[in-house]
Amino acid sequence: MKIRNAYAENQALDRAIETITGAFAGFEPVLLIFFASPFFEGTAVSAAMAGAFPNATVFGCSSAGELTTGRMLNNAISALAFSREAIGDVCIQVVEDMRNGMDVNKAFNAFQEHYGISSHDLDPSRHIGIVLVDGLCRREEELMDRIGDLTMVNFIGGSAGDDFQFRETHVYANGTSYTNAAVLAIVRPLIPFTFVKTQSFVPLDRKLLVTEAREEAREVISFNGKPAAQAYAEALGVATEEASRRLKHNPLGLIVDGIPFVRSPQRIQGSSMLFYCGIKEGMELSLLEATDIIADTRAALDQARKKIGPLSGVLSFNCIMRIQELEQNGLTDQYGALLGDVPTAGLGTYGEQFIGHVNQTATMLVFG
Amino acid sequence: MAGKIKQMIDAIIEQRTRNNPELSGVVRTKLMLKGVDPNRYTETSEDDPRIISILEGIIKTCS
Repeated sequence: MKIRNAYAENQALDRAIETITGAFAGFEPVLLIFFASPFFEGTAVSAAMAGAFPNATVFGCSSAGELTTGRMLNNAISALAFSREAIGDVCIQVVEDMRNGMDVNKAFNAFQEHYGISSHDLDPSRHIGIVLVDGLCRREEELMDRIGDLTMVNFIGGSAGDDFQFRETHVYANGTSYTNAAVLAIVRPLIPFTFVKTQSFVPLDRKLLVTEAREEAREVISFNGKPAAQAYAEALGVATEEASRRLKHNPLGLIVDGIPFVRSPQRIQGSSMLFYCGIKEGMELSLLEATDIIADTRAALDQARKKIGPLSGVLSFNCIMRIQELEQNGLTDQYGALLGDVPTAGLGTYGEQFIGHVNQTATMLVFG
Repeated sequence: MAGKIKQMIDAIIEQRTRNNPELSGVVRTKLMLKGVDPNRYTETSEDDPRIISILEGIIKTCS
């Protein structure tokens, strides 16, 4: 096998590392990506995972629920490891000080030095970008925007979680734990790959043009020239009080070629609306309506299989709001079973990344 | 003046995709996420300084 997974749940760190190294016995990873519950102290878990696999590039982040093959977990470490038959090259960089002028160029200069080619010239059909970012820094849009300007390599990933505590999230690299930071990786795989972005919403025929917004505060003040909350409620055809109960079921989406990039409202505040991502003035958003997560995710994975054949490994970045919905509806086992016995590692995220920053979405890096 | 925005969008798509049409969709998606919908602009669209400034920034970063 070129890709293998392992997990340890509800164990002290030493024991958890033993469990994971034991599961990878006889397998020599060159790349290992892991997601760890804040049940494990950040600095210790990063050092322990890096120390356990000294011949591999090791990175990861904290999580809000973990995913392994066929199961959703809590208080766990979930890891996916790649052999040298799967990965030709990998370079990771840490972008620090996200809230104060993050220096993305520095990371990309290092990628250029590593690969011996400008990041603009890296072939997106032969390279993958992975991004893990502090889930509380609120700077994912700017990060993805700047990455998108610097390369045509597609970056996929998620915003770290902390088991719904919303206190501190971590990214892990170089045996160290970072906050207010992002880990970026450019990987050259030797096996087929594709990207999945799946969200269970359909656009309704009701548009909201952002006429005033404070993007950094993720606040929309007005849609269609009306107070945002009023315009949203009118689009739904309900009173504002009722509208605040429909936020999860009816988020908004930027529609690109018929596919929504979901922008999820967090709450109505006075006459404004606060979102889980930044929204720009001039954007035309569509009102969305929820559909079936299990059926939609199954269809997205079937499409990936059609493209690259049977799956050999999956990295999954799944929004916590999707996880909550699955739990509330007793569907976590069905969701876990969608990938069958494919080696899988994933996490519950505070935001998902693919080309841009999105909400209420699962992004997946899928290998054939 | 009119039509400058469409010209700039076309130039960015050409510059970023390097004549690989498969990449055109990704560039258009990136533009939409920046608040510039390529479908909205034609040869006769008004030259909006705010949009032109966004596009100038992209061209500078990408060159």
